[in-house]
Amino acid sequence: MPFKDLREFLARLEKEGELQKFDEEVDWNLEAGAISRRALETDLPAPFFEKIKDYPKDRRMVSCVLANLKRIAIAMDMAPDTPMRELIEEYLRRQKKPVKPVTVKTGPCKENVLIGDEVDLLKFPVPVIHEGDGGRYIGTWHLTVTRDLNTGWTNWGMYRHMLHDAKSFGVLAPAPKHLGTMADQKYAPQNLPMPVAVVLGSEPITTFCAATPVPYGVSEADIAGGLRGEPVELVKCETSDLLVPAHSEIVIEGEITPGDERDEGPFGEYTGYRSGLASPKPVIRVKAVTFRNDPIFTFSCPGVPLDDSASVFSVNKSAQFLDELRSKGLPVTGAYLIVEGASHAIAVSVKNAYYGIAGEVAHVIWSARHGLLTPSVIVVEDDVDPCNLQQVFHAMMTKCHPGRGINKIEHATAWPLIPWLSEHERKHRMGARVYYDCTWPVDWDRAELPVRQSFAECYPKEIQEKALRKWRSHGH
Amino acid sequence: MPQEYETFARDSAHLFGGKEVVMTLRDLTPGRRKYRGINVRGVVSRPPRPGEAVLWIRSVVGNRDPAPCSVRIVEELPETFQGLPYSDFFEAMQRA
Repeated sequence: MPFKDLREFLARLEKEGELQKFDEEVDWNLEAGAISRRALETDLPAPFFEKIKDYPKDRRMVSCVLANLKRIAIAMDMAPDTPMRELIEEYLRRQKKPVKPVTVKTGPCKENVLIGDEVDLLKFPVPVIHEGDGGRYIGTWHLTVTRDLNTGWTNWGMYRHMLHDAKSFGVLAPAPKHLGTMADQKYAPQNLPMPVAVVLGSEPITTFCAATPVPYGVSEADIAGGLRGEPVELVKCETSDLLVPAHSEIVIEGEITPGDERDEGPFGEYTGYRSGLASPKPVIRVKAVTFRNDPIFTFSCPGVPLDDSASVFSVNKSAQFLDELRSKGLPVTGAYLIVEGASHAIAVSVKNAYYGIAGEVAHVIWSARHGLLTPSVIVVEDDVDPCNLQQVFHAMMTKCHPGRGINKIEHATAWPLIPWLSEHERKHRMGARVYYDCTWPVDWDRAELPVRQSFAECYPKEIQEKALRKWRSHGH
Repeated sequence: MPQEYETFARDSAHLFGGKEVVMTLRDLTPGRRKYRGINVRGVVSRPPRPGEAVLWIRSVVGNRDPAPCSVRIVEELPETFQGLPYSDFFEAMQRA
């Protein structure tokens, strides 16, 4: 059974030893971030903060809710120890069976309704997550809802939001991000304000889907229904026609007016660096806030791997890339956006490699909408598990020729948050890409290819069994 | 306790010299409203002048200069600057 809301999910995480409650006072200013970062770097449970400095007892925070594979598997109602490759394939199967959401009249997110002058975002414990951030970040683990002015398509995205004051916050979502595309190409030319809703603390799959790269026009709400096996319940906003998950903890309603910009950033990002400079970005002016009693504020603490987005991307983006590669008829057996690579590198395994297959794979990856964020592609043969970094790295070091195996592509569009870009390159979005061909050359005599020496490959089955029995008898 | 602010600057040298400069300040007053942002025209001094608000300067990537300054706010400016989205904020401020 899918989880009805975040609270049910957190209860399950606690039962599985994947949630740690802190009943002592924790400061929203850096301390909650530091506790979260430590949890991410040492695989500790998701921290749940029950007493926040400067705030009453009914304000709570949680972070790192989908920061590891186990929590993602639990969110998908699968066994906590499901292997990565299985999770990716299952995601793909469910995504292909979307379930439309249903609209309900009301929901828990309407337990408290503040409109207009009553709105004060500082009544929520919005954290300063890292030392040196440009401000308090209200949106780091959430979903941002917008609607296409012409087609009516609703987009769920996850874009960072820095708080400016009690009634406004910024957004980082330049085109081709869907929110930026809608704002720039649909609303701005008509000088119309674009309604926005930011949803914190919905059940885990809806947030997971907000971080999923789907093509323009595809409904994340439908995909969330498919992944859950049940429709998502949506409820109408108070000040616009946007629909939001009814069981959310906090819903912030507002709008973006063309030409209304304030400085935003820098922020410690998923790349593992604080590198994006402050720049003028669109402002969301808040018109209403609705929330549950005792609301739980959700956040993520991006930084060096791992973090929530890296873990989620390693499942949903891997699945999207795999689907894309298969749809082109390429003989691909697996794809994995390497979680340690901050979304910048993907390993793809192929069978029956032919001349030039690595380049074909790389160009399919880069032609995908989300390929912009993944400039490095590693192509291995199917004796390598792309989800096993040790195996992938071994293949890179032993099969990729430094001269003919590393293929650089100059003059490519860049995603400006990539840390190896110069300031000039970032400003003009000028980048480069590379693919590593870790397949044996097709013109080498197959009979003379080097033979990999591993336990599974260089001993007969009966000897392997004998060796395993001997180890077991010694308690290993 | 004196008022404290911080600001982000690409080239902090242009803030000094006794001239009026446009800045975005983050209010560091402890409590729920900490980090509220305001745009101002002000004069920055280093070393800090007695009686003025303390100002800490951070680089564009957020590194804090350990030497404190002070700021005298001449006027508070509107919340927004004219500038293209995602363009250089520091250039937009200089034009303001």
